[in-house]
Amino acid sequence: MLLDVKNLSIAYQGKPTVSNVNFDLSAGEIMAIVGESGSGKTSVIRAILGCLSGNGQVAGGQINFGGRDIAHLSNKEWLSIRGKDIAMIFQDSGNMLNPVQTIGKQFVEYLQLHSSMSKREAAEKACSLLLRMNLPDPQRVMESHAFELSGGMRQRVGIAMALAFAPKLLLADEPTSALDVTTQAQIVDELMQVVHEAGSAMIIVTHNIGVAAHMADKIMVMAGGKVVEYGSTADVIERPQAEYTQALLRAVPEIGGTRYVG
Amino acid sequence: MSDKEILLSTDKICKEFTKSDGMKFTACKDVSLNLYRGETLGLVGESGCGKSTFVRTIMGLHPADSGKIFFKGEDITRLSGEKRRAMAKHIQMIFQDPSTAFNPKMRIRDIICEPLRNFAKVSDKEAEARAVALLEQVELAPEIALRYPHELSGGQRQRVGIARALILEPEVIICDEATSALDVSVQDSIAKLLAKLQREKGVSYIFICHDLGLVSLISHRVAVMQNGQIVEELAGDKIAQAQHPYTKKLLSSVFSVKKRA
Repeated sequence: MLLDVKNLSIAYQGKPTVSNVNFDLSAGEIMAIVGESGSGKTSVIRAILGCLSGNGQVAGGQINFGGRDIAHLSNKEWLSIRGKDIAMIFQDSGNMLNPVQTIGKQFVEYLQLHSSMSKREAAEKACSLLLRMNLPDPQRVMESHAFELSGGMRQRVGIAMALAFAPKLLLADEPTSALDVTTQAQIVDELMQVVHEAGSAMIIVTHNIGVAAHMADKIMVMAGGKVVEYGSTADVIERPQAEYTQALLRAVPEIGGTRYVG
Repeated sequence: MSDKEILLSTDKICKEFTKSDGMKFTACKDVSLNLYRGETLGLVGESGCGKSTFVRTIMGLHPADSGKIFFKGEDITRLSGEKRRAMAKHIQMIFQDPSTAFNPKMRIRDIICEPLRNFAKVSDKEAEARAVALLEQVELAPEIALRYPHELSGGQRQRVGIARALILEPEVIICDEATSALDVSVQDSIAKLLAKLQREKGVSYIFICHDLGLVSLISHRVAVMQNGQIVEELAGDKIAQAQHPYTKKLLSSVFSVKKRA
């Protein structure tokens, strides 16, 4: 078992926000966390990466990663894990990238930080990673600034960076929510393919239940800081037990579903 | 639908923008659409396909380069001054994120009544009464009238946006990604509210949205836009029978919960 989260509780400014989250993840597995805004889904994956925002902290429980509890590591201890063993893809990688540096400069810096590659080796590696994310002309992307790329291209850069060291665990926070439907469909499939090739496990946080059902092996449904349902994707989607999950699934607009107008 | 009255129609609307490097960019090319009374017309397409430019042209926010817009048979393409202002009584708009559309320092009561005050003198007492009545229509508590936008949730703010659009009793409401920023359950409740208001008031909607599932359920007809042109028009419940390759591509990009099962 790669990741084993037990009784995880998270508090912001001492105020309990997320409580009693339990789940586990094996290598190569994909789990989706779905729920509405404010349900605590992003807090859970931020806690796993040790980067809760503001005054958030892990108030209780364990996060066992590869047999080691990582819930209370020091910043120094995190440096060797974050970005290498556990990497994250954000909703808009444009916000993660430095706006005044070229993609190439920061990509090379990131690769050199976690390895002993020379500048040239790192640049070659970066190009090959970009190429694998179906970015044609990676050299041009390397020379661009974030604002010169489209949203889909930026997201591909973010995914290429996150996968650079074939992390054991990949965390993705709404990775396709800011994209157009057609781009979303491409990136979802590319993401699944590269994650599969790298053998990484992945936790994807999304409010798009269609995307979750398509990608994940198992689904965790959260509401109000609590887990309301957790099980295999087939069970959660086809035989939801919790009333909340049933209501959530009913609210998803489906082509051919119940019409709002006559 | 053909026996119904045409409320709004556009005839070959074209709009070009000049980019910073001097190149021309065609946002709308020969867009001709009809909107019938009491109907919802869905408008779908990718970012940059010209959906928003098209509705902004109808609103008169930027003039069309060529083509004509008719409202109840009257040419409104080049209205200006008082006539343009008066047109706002008939066509209103709801935006994606009302928090950026509202003045953060105004109370909800004044936000809702602002369009009314643009046309008539309204006392605070009367404004409050009107605001409360509209809040009731959009299923919000009357206390909200005295709150500020930041005190409300996204779904509540969007309901206020709808109340504001309704106050002048317009015949057309343009919803530009009005539900895209909301959670599915909130989106569901807003869609139901829009449908209910349509049944009660007979208002027509132009509903811009990139979620094909939602668009197909809320629209009587759906127009698909690609690179500034309408490539296909379909009945909302027949969207799955699309013929055009672009519509098919959009349809195949939808992640359906049921398709998996």
